[in-house]
Amino acid sequence: MLSWLESTSMAVWLAESPSVWAFPTILTLHTAGLAVLVGVCWVLDLRLLGIIRHVPLAAFRWVFPVIAVSLTVNIVTGVLLFVKNATTWGTAVPFFVKMFLVAASVATLVPIRAHVLGGDGVSGAGSVRLWAVASILFWSAAVSAGRLLAYLVV
Amino acid sequence: MNLSHLHLVMNHVPTIGAAAALGLLILGYARRNDHLKHAGLEVLFVIALLTLPVYVSGVAALYELRERPDISVDAMRIHQDAALAGFVVAELAGFIAWIALWQWRRRGRAAQGLVAAATVLLIVTLAIMGRAANLGGEIRHEEIRAAGESLPGGEGDPARFIASKINDVAVNSTWVWPAAEAVHFLGLSLTLGVLLAVNLRILGVMRQVPFADVHRLLPWGMLGFGVNLVTGMFFFVGQPGQYVNNGPFYWKVGFLMIAGANFLYLTVFKKMWAADFSRSSLADKTMAVSSLVAWLGVLYAGRMLPFLGNAF
Repeated sequence: MLSWLESTSMAVWLAESPSVWAFPTILTLHTAGLAVLVGVCWVLDLRLLGIIRHVPLAAFRWVFPVIAVSLTVNIVTGVLLFVKNATTWGTAVPFFVKMFLVAASVATLVPIRAHVLGGDGVSGAGSVRLWAVASILFWSAAVSAGRLLAYLVV
Repeated sequence: MNLSHLHLVMNHVPTIGAAAALGLLILGYARRNDHLKHAGLEVLFVIALLTLPVYVSGVAALYELRERPDISVDAMRIHQDAALAGFVVAELAGFIAWIALWQWRRRGRAAQGLVAAATVLLIVTLAIMGRAANLGGEIRHEEIRAAGESLPGGEGDPARFIASKINDVAVNSTWVWPAAEAVHFLGLSLTLGVLLAVNLRILGVMRQVPFADVHRLLPWGMLGFGVNLVTGMFFFVGQPGQYVNNGPFYWKVGFLMIAGANFLYLTVFKKMWAADFSRSSLADKTMAVSSLVAWLGVLYAGRMLPFLGNAF
């Protein structure tokens, strides 16, 4: 399965094309996507933790479409980056640790989104503050783990 | 024009610029004029920004000239260490000046201790940069040395320089470089997230929120900027060979100048503070878009260093 993925024409093109539009562009899109995704999540987390607390949460609805677009970009580019070296990533423990951290980070968005869209819209309640802290920590760990994969998995 | 030439063109900016900023601040104190102090802090921030290309072009000049038999590598390295010390203090002064300017916009005045701290650090910057400039001049200008005086250096352990020690850590430590890269990505995310929020506000998103409220977020963006300046300079000083002949690196420095100027504009300008963005002017929108384009340019050029350039 993993070696079949790696032999698909898409994977071969990504691995072998000398074009700057192949692997380098996919990797750069993945980086830009993570910066927007994580950065916007952090801005929302800061608000939930009490920075500019008098600004109504309803004013932050715009972050969710931005999160949706950047998350989609990173899922697509992430799958492409996986396929390129499927046999390496599919058998590497640090890669699965990173995937867990990303999943945990994304999971914090569920209660946070419910609070922002459905809550009283005034301020962060106690439990949502914990989710905001979890979001900051999980995203930091996920980004760090992703960057370190280049060193941990050869 | 090569990079040595660029360094010659720009190398007076830190000293003369620091002197100009200090003059404005001292005049501000002497005349008890807050406008002069404010202008002094703004000039200081711009000089701290421009010191980055001066430093990196200097290191590039070292790489261009180090094979030439008529130029002392030790003299260049002594100058480089002095310049690195000056760069660090200049960035610290610029950072404190920025905090003071941010407070000024919010409260109508800055904490006097911050303005005083920026002024003291600026005096230190001027002293160190003056020494660095003199050491730099001596590399090629025999006429400024006292009669019979030889070039400094020439003997001693080539690993005694600060830059060499940082290079040693960058090359030989297994974890410092990867850890700095991870932190660099976190800083990037923080800065981009904050500036996306602030600039989208100017472009009309969350228009019911006063600009003063998104302005409150700017220090978090500056925190990311500062963290990435520290980690980024660690990469550059640690392994200059990866960057000095790397085209995208200079694009990145150029985008950073635009992004930094934008940051100052977002921080201090009265028009931004007072504006009702339900009808943003074309100029405001241009500022917002250029800020976002500049940061994405920084990210693109940085990520492409190994592909369009020769970093690994």
